[in-house]
Amino acid sequence: MAEKKAVGHAYNIDFLNVVFAASSIFLFVSTIWMVWDDFDREWKNTQRRFTQLELEVTNAQLAQTQKSPERAKLPALQQQLAAAEKAMEANRQRIDEINGQLSDVDARLYRVNKSAQFAKATYDVNRYAFEAARTANPEGVGERQKEIEAEAQRLNELNLEVQKVEAERAALQAELGKFTSEVGRLQKELTQINFEQTRLQRVVANIEPSLVKDYFRNAPLLDFMAPTLTVRQVVTPNVVDDVNFARVAKMDRCTTCHLAIDRRGYEKYPQPFRTHPNLQAYVGSDSPHPLATTGCTVCHQGLGGSTGFNDASHYPSNPKQREEWEEKYHWHEPHMWDYPMLPTNMTEASCQQCHRQEVYVPQAPRLNVAYATYERAGCYACHKTKGFENLRKPGPILTKISGKLTQDWVKNWVRDPYAIKNVTWMPKVWYNSNTNSPADHPRNEAEINAAVAYLFANSETYTPAVASPPRGNPKAGEQIVRSIGCLGCHIVDENDRAAAGPRRTFGQPLKSVGSKTTYTWLYNWVRDPKHYNPATYMPDLRLTDAQVADVATYLTTLTGSAGTAAPVTPTQAQVDAVLLDYLRNLMPLAEAQGRLAKMDTTAKQLDLGQRVIARYGCFSCHDIKGFETTQPIGVDLSEEGSKLVTRLDFAFVDIPHSKLEWFHQKLKDPRSFDQGRVLEPLEKLRMPDFRFNAVENERLQTAIMSFQREVQPASALPPRTAMRDFTVNGRALVRRQNCVGCHEIEGDGGDYKTLVADASLAPPLLTPEGAKVQPDWLYAFLQGPITIRPWLDVRMPTFGLDDRRWNGIINYFQATGRSTEQFRTYDHQQLTQMAAPGRELFELLQCQKCHVLGAIRPDQDRASLAPDLRMAHERLKPEWVLDWLRNPSRIQPGTRMPQFWPTPPYPKSSFPQLGGDADTQIRAIRDYLYTFRGGPSPRRGAGAAQSTN
Amino acid sequence: MDFIKGIFNVIADPRLYFFLMVLSLVFMVWKREVFISKAVGYGVLIFLTLFFALGGLDPNFQLIITKPDNVPIVGLIFLLVFFTWYSMREAVLNDQRIAKGDGPIEKAESDRVWVWPDLVYTELISLILCSVVLIVWSILLKAPLEQPANRAVTPNPSKAPWYFLGLQEMLVYFDPWLAGVVLPGLIIAGLIAIPYIDKNPKGNGYYTFVERKVEITLFLFGFVILWSSLIVLGTFLRGPNWNFFGPFEYWDTHKLEALTNVDLSEYFWVRMLGGGLPSNYVVRELPGILLCLIYVAVLPPLLAKRGFKTYYDKLGAPRFYVTVFLFLMMMSLPIKMLLRWIFNLKYIVAIPEIFFNI
Repeated sequence: MAEKKAVGHAYNIDFLNVVFAASSIFLFVSTIWMVWDDFDREWKNTQRRFTQLELEVTNAQLAQTQKSPERAKLPALQQQLAAAEKAMEANRQRIDEINGQLSDVDARLYRVNKSAQFAKATYDVNRYAFEAARTANPEGVGERQKEIEAEAQRLNELNLEVQKVEAERAALQAELGKFTSEVGRLQKELTQINFEQTRLQRVVANIEPSLVKDYFRNAPLLDFMAPTLTVRQVVTPNVVDDVNFARVAKMDRCTTCHLAIDRRGYEKYPQPFRTHPNLQAYVGSDSPHPLATTGCTVCHQGLGGSTGFNDASHYPSNPKQREEWEEKYHWHEPHMWDYPMLPTNMTEASCQQCHRQEVYVPQAPRLNVAYATYERAGCYACHKTKGFENLRKPGPILTKISGKLTQDWVKNWVRDPYAIKNVTWMPKVWYNSNTNSPADHPRNEAEINAAVAYLFANSETYTPAVASPPRGNPKAGEQIVRSIGCLGCHIVDENDRAAAGPRRTFGQPLKSVGSKTTYTWLYNWVRDPKHYNPATYMPDLRLTDAQVADVATYLTTLTGSAGTAAPVTPTQAQVDAVLLDYLRNLMPLAEAQGRLAKMDTTAKQLDLGQRVIARYGCFSCHDIKGFETTQPIGVDLSEEGSKLVTRLDFAFVDIPHSKLEWFHQKLKDPRSFDQGRVLEPLEKLRMPDFRFNAVENERLQTAIMSFQREVQPASALPPRTAMRDFTVNGRALVRRQNCVGCHEIEGDGGDYKTLVADASLAPPLLTPEGAKVQPDWLYAFLQGPITIRPWLDVRMPTFGLDDRRWNGIINYFQATGRSTEQFRTYDHQQLTQMAAPGRELFELLQCQKCHVLGAIRPDQDRASLAPDLRMAHERLKPEWVLDWLRNPSRIQPGTRMPQFWPTPPYPKSSFPQLGGDADTQIRAIRDYLYTFRGGPSPRRGAGAAQSTN
Repeated sequence: MDFIKGIFNVIADPRLYFFLMVLSLVFMVWKREVFISKAVGYGVLIFLTLFFALGGLDPNFQLIITKPDNVPIVGLIFLLVFFTWYSMREAVLNDQRIAKGDGPIEKAESDRVWVWPDLVYTELISLILCSVVLIVWSILLKAPLEQPANRAVTPNPSKAPWYFLGLQEMLVYFDPWLAGVVLPGLIIAGLIAIPYIDKNPKGNGYYTFVERKVEITLFLFGFVILWSSLIVLGTFLRGPNWNFFGPFEYWDTHKLEALTNVDLSEYFWVRMLGGGLPSNYVVRELPGILLCLIYVAVLPPLLAKRGFKTYYDKLGAPRFYVTVFLFLMMMSLPIKMLLRWIFNLKYIVAIPEIFFNI
């Protein structure tokens, strides 16, 4: 080394050579690594795996085509073809001759065609030049005009020549056809039979592994040219992503891996290759939400532009899946995108992206039950929510509480409602996780006593309409409660609120009602609910006084626990301290103390009571005197689903920091975020505990996640029409009045079905109602229901709604019945034209075997009775009757009305009358029906209950 | 282990951290013969390696040092320590040679530089190796992308690029116009001015400490302490809400800092004179304004007469005043830091009426 340095080198060159060689190798290796790192993508492997799967599936389909019954014809066809070919051979000489001439003619045609095309091109150019020159200088173009005309002449000649040669060719082809047409026809038939097979073979050839495709087109560095593995994307101009500073069209690359999402035949394969479970509604090109215009992430959320499993913000549906993913994909809580994918069981929350403020979205059962739960639990009462404004207060009124309850019972009730009624929607306000220590007990009791004292001190006097009602028979009462329809809104036996569902718990669960209030109150309530509370949703069942007594007596037998007694009695000093806490939050301590000193014990209690009610927001759910205009206390939830996780306070609760986990925890234990914190009593959280179980919790999370910022443009939303408005408003209305507790409408609701032995004994299906009944009849009926089906125990109550709501409901029925002209006049002369032949058929078909005409005849089977046909002329729309007779089960699946004119032989009939024409026969029967008179009518006696069963 | 982590968490408090950094600078300069020993060199290397290797086992610390943004700062710590140690070593060895009368080693070496192949070859090799490092780096450390920017949500903590974290740290002590405009401007102006105000030819082309004691110490203070160590502090020890967190501490957004700082005017009028604050802001801030004027206008001439008289004589008036001004500006940061830490002093001059605070 020293030697080398001596001859003029600063370094040992041999050593530098080694360093150079080594570093070059490093560079080479790292460059290869870089190329590989860029080349090696998760999605490419997924696509390779899919190609294999696709090959398997296509081959299986190919094998399936071999079994097609069509193929049985093949041997015969092939034989025919051979025979035809043989026949053709006999004329081989002539055929060859014609073919030779044809090829000559084709060559000639090609030449003249070309000449004509070129002549036309030149002529167009020259003509334009001529036109321009003439416009500029009209005089000096004489010479050019001649030239142009000559050129046009020549073009015409060429075109004529083309036509001539074409005719020549056609003549030759016609002659050839004489010899070959049979062969051609058979070949075409063969191709048709083999069509599917050929198509699939082509697909297989396309996706089969091949050297060029796998090792050349997809090779690293060469794959920029024409790779077969490519990122696939859907860009949706009308559906956008909000990236805070701008809204940009969504670019969903989900289909890069979910390759079979819109293809049938992959239903049983694991993700990511499974077909979408509901192609009819989503993704399918003929669905209302096609992939090309809707994309994926507007519903599923997540980062559509990403092609990596974690980057796309996949989100597990359950802890088990979470573990699986952590192991398989190194999954972690997504933080690159503010709106991670919704767990699959909550995807319906995204319907609201476009179906804004629709309380019921068809085919979204999870979202619908989520909203029903949200409403039933009364969340909207404390938390303002868009789409849930101006609804009734969910709890009973407390303005007449002293006429209904005792102070002791109310105290026990609010202390722990679940001890008395485990299925109630009344939440537990005191003794929750942040107020449950023995040190909190005196304060809890002081607040409870004060609030109850306030309610009773501010209660109006309630004078029952019947002061000392007679007792009834509890057995008969139970019979009535269980059969007449009370159970559509009230539960008696059920012990699981979530299983009973929001519709069956629309009214108070009847458990323990006997130990809650007095017999007199119950009697008066059942007799006329509006007497106690004019705004109540409880309808009038039109019971006789004796029936009322039976029901009320039965209700008094439904006794239960008296609840939890107070663990301590607060001393006056403790009460004072609590009130002082409230006061000094509003004013300086000295002033607060002064005010406290001036009050006597009662005044203190009432003052505290008012402040307690204001703090816990009791007035949000219940009418309480003195709080008529007070604003609700909760956070506005209208955009809660879009809230960023950074806006949520996880405090010291050890859960993963994600929105869903936070909502889950908040609903599970609303006060838990106080855990581990040092807080003044009035600083503590105050959301009460509803004891939501896992099912309800998930429903409410779904509802909350659906409350999103309005991001999608108008072009993405369903177009607004009057019909749609009627539908959307009506859907909300029939849910808010709980019509769907008893009736099934648009495939939803009708829970009462589960309570009767046979579906035919349940309240009728109302989906076809708008197409079926005349609106004026319906309006009269809703105001004063009459008995239409005397064999039913359950009855339509008198709701006494206002016109706005009745109109809303009628409009909704008309909209679902696609019936645009509501009120119509029918010419009865014309309607009953064919009544005479109709009568004959009416008897032949034995309509009266089920249908009632006046009194029920002794030979009629009670189990299969049908409505009184005397009502038809004023109740049913004549055109609907035709539809109904033609195919009843299409309108009402499962109906017992037989189909007398089945599809074959329709439009022929199996009955000889009226020329055996089905439609004429149907019309005749309809005409006969419209001659009946004298049936029960809601219109007689305008609104008053006509008859009860 | 937790005890050791606890010690580090305590040491990392900005006050102690800054104090220890200054202390190590003093040690480095004062006991430089010890500092340059290979034992100390290897010791520091082993200590740092162990600190990062063992500390990396801690989930919180691991999160901080493996963040793609922060990895260069880990490298920076090693490189900075190495080069400081190396240059000091060369300087001290030279000083010893000069003391013996041998002159610096660089003078003993030939003036010739071998362009071919030595220089070109080594440059080529360096080029290749740098490419390798950059390629491997780009493969292993992903670009630190985040979710789409949102005007309603500021990232917490909001950190400047790593090379500006020292400046961002100044924002804790000064208003943006000073910390973000005036002081960085003076840094640039000062760096440009150095060749014009430093006409001392000593140390040109060779390492030495003894011949340039003050200059080197000043540079080390300004660069290693005020610039680099504040970058390290800003990267590793500042968490949500710009609160300070020990290296092994969880970055809890809810951590609070008591805001009990007061302005000089309050010290003077309220605490010293026992009255209230004057309503006229000029009167109110007079003590602070005077103090600042004294600092920039009265102190330099005083220093020219006393203390820095030799420099005044050596440099002449214009060069001296520019140098002293730059020096005082540099020292304003540690002075303000000390005032804040010792007296909870918020502003020396605080005129929120016209958005003017010092």
